[in-house]
Amino acid sequence: MILLALISIWLISLNPIDREYALAKINSVIVNGAVSGPLYALLALGFTLIYGVTGVVNMTHGTLYMLGAYMFFAFGPLGFFQLEILPAIVLAAIFVGIVGSIIYALTIHPIIEDELAVLVVTVGVALILQQLIIIGFDIAFKATYLAIPTITLAGLPLNVTFMGVKLASSSLLVCGVSVVLFTVVMIFISKAKIGRAMRAVAQDREAAMLMGINTTRLYMLTMAISASLAATAGIFIATSTTGTAEPSMWLRPLVISFAIVILGGLGSLKGTIVGAFIVGYAENAVIILTPAGSTLAGAVALAIMVLVLLIRPRGIFGKRIEME
Amino acid sequence: MATTYPRRIYTSFITNIVDIPSRLVALLCFLLLLLFPVTRPGTLLLYVLTYTNIIAIFAASWDLLVGRVGQISLGHALFFGIGAYTTALLYKFYALPLWATIPLAILSGASVAVLVGFPSLRVKGPYLALVSMAFPLILTGLIFYFREWTGGENGIWGLPRFFPIGFFTQMGFPYSEALYLQKIAEYYLTLLLLLASGILLYKIANSKIGITFISILDDEQASKSCGINTTKYKLMAFAITACFASLAGAVYAHIITSIGPASTLSVTLSFLPVIMTMFGGIGTIYGPIAATFIIQTLDLYILRKVVDVPLEWHPLIFIIIVVIIIIKWPRGIAKFVTDKFEDLQEARELEERGKHIWKREKKKSSISKG
Repeated sequence: MILLALISIWLISLNPIDREYALAKINSVIVNGAVSGPLYALLALGFTLIYGVTGVVNMTHGTLYMLGAYMFFAFGPLGFFQLEILPAIVLAAIFVGIVGSIIYALTIHPIIEDELAVLVVTVGVALILQQLIIIGFDIAFKATYLAIPTITLAGLPLNVTFMGVKLASSSLLVCGVSVVLFTVVMIFISKAKIGRAMRAVAQDREAAMLMGINTTRLYMLTMAISASLAATAGIFIATSTTGTAEPSMWLRPLVISFAIVILGGLGSLKGTIVGAFIVGYAENAVIILTPAGSTLAGAVALAIMVLVLLIRPRGIFGKRIEME
Repeated sequence: MATTYPRRIYTSFITNIVDIPSRLVALLCFLLLLLFPVTRPGTLLLYVLTYTNIIAIFAASWDLLVGRVGQISLGHALFFGIGAYTTALLYKFYALPLWATIPLAILSGASVAVLVGFPSLRVKGPYLALVSMAFPLILTGLIFYFREWTGGENGIWGLPRFFPIGFFTQMGFPYSEALYLQKIAEYYLTLLLLLASGILLYKIANSKIGITFISILDDEQASKSCGINTTKYKLMAFAITACFASLAGAVYAHIITSIGPASTLSVTLSFLPVIMTMFGGIGTIYGPIAATFIIQTLDLYILRKVVDVPLEWHPLIFIIIVVIIIIKWPRGIAKFVTDKFEDLQEARELEERGKHIWKREKKKSSISKG
């Protein structure tokens, strides 16, 4: 409230031309923040799901995101099989899901008791996967920087103007995908039989085991779902932002998704949405309102995360999936 | 008394070092490293070992913080970067000499560590790990933002060396020989720094403070109720480790003579001590040092010069080895080797206790989460 009052006093004190300019900037922050919120939420969805159910801090998330974008290229119109866009997306997501469950079975499962070892091993696996992607695509396509095909909906114009702010329609598509996937995952967790098993395992692994839930298989399934969500995020976000798949694209999504997830409370789906909007608005405000702000964008998201944690050590919604 | 003094040193040397096999191995390894330049190795190998010495200090300091106090930090590069940037900025703007900037760098590293340590008083477990990972990235953002002073991604160039080339040419050596001697002198300097920091860290870890640290790792609530000011000790742990990490950073800056965010604040650098410690053995101090020598020489020298492997395959090979070792021997190779050497009941018991502590920590965190 105080902030709003200060902003309006500042606006009134400006002369008309400056005021119009400032209002346009504020509009742009509001609209761009509203668009990047769902985008970041989509980014963090897989990360929050795997932590909420299994308690694994999955550092391979960024690399699975990257693998998704690369596999979309490989399956897509310019790749091996020259498939249409939609089957390529589905196949890439399924492929990455299988890779995720293999990673879980081979590396995370033997040491799941030791939090630190899991953290380190997933970091190692992330680096291995990244190198494998670089080597594989270097051999197959003679390039590691790839322009991935754009996803367009028929009947949608290339740009949409909303409140005087020009938006790419592909970023609206990402918002739509994010909303759909979030709804599906939430309904799945609360209604479906496997979803209920996931909540049971999140609550108490041993008790769930005694009730006859095969936790190993369930963990593998969760990892597969989380990995395919990461891949889907990678495909849609990469097409709407840079339009390329590149070897260094894993770090930023990883950092952003952990900032969001910690902000909202590790493993809480509601918290992820709130955290995503906070980070989205904060980043856009810094990028648009400060000079040379784009260099500070990542730092601001992380600084907000640190500040929130000082006030609420378990994030805004400090609950895991089972409590929702 | 004067006559018995050397004798006393001799007996303490025998009982404290030679009689304990793993310490004897450490002594022999150190002597090997000390005599190594006699074989006149190539400049690349010398450079690799100098760099390895610095990273070993860095990794050992991480081990004290995580293995002995249990504050999992994934942003240790912050202190390395603070050390490097402090010494570089002080040189750039005030042209201070080396012997003044390096202590100041250590001091600033320690004070930043106390600031950064505050979140750790409230945040625990995986939250702390991920929060600490944020700090070097925040600093990187600031460095890019204030690029007039810090040089942005290009960093700062032309820092002075420890032993200027003129020092050797004045002594009558030809220029090429002087260049080589400079490298050897730097190698010895970092090796001695490594030895000093290693011994100091080991002593701290086994002193009264170190025992207090272990009590915090074991059970923070219990040690609080025993009247230990855990806040003070946790901040102290952060400050001590930051001293060594920023020392490593400052020395690195003057060995390489140019620094940038990519080389001193990257996520890879933050993960390096984690990988070394998990490979070598957590909570041992000597484990990460040994692991650094194995992994760094394998990665930077053997795979590059001895076996000719294409460049993209290097990280792949050594990370696969590390991952397999972590899954196979979760307590690290140093523990494995010392257990083979010293079949001591005490060591076994300690290790069992250590495992017990980790398990209990895990169980406790899962209860408080649920």
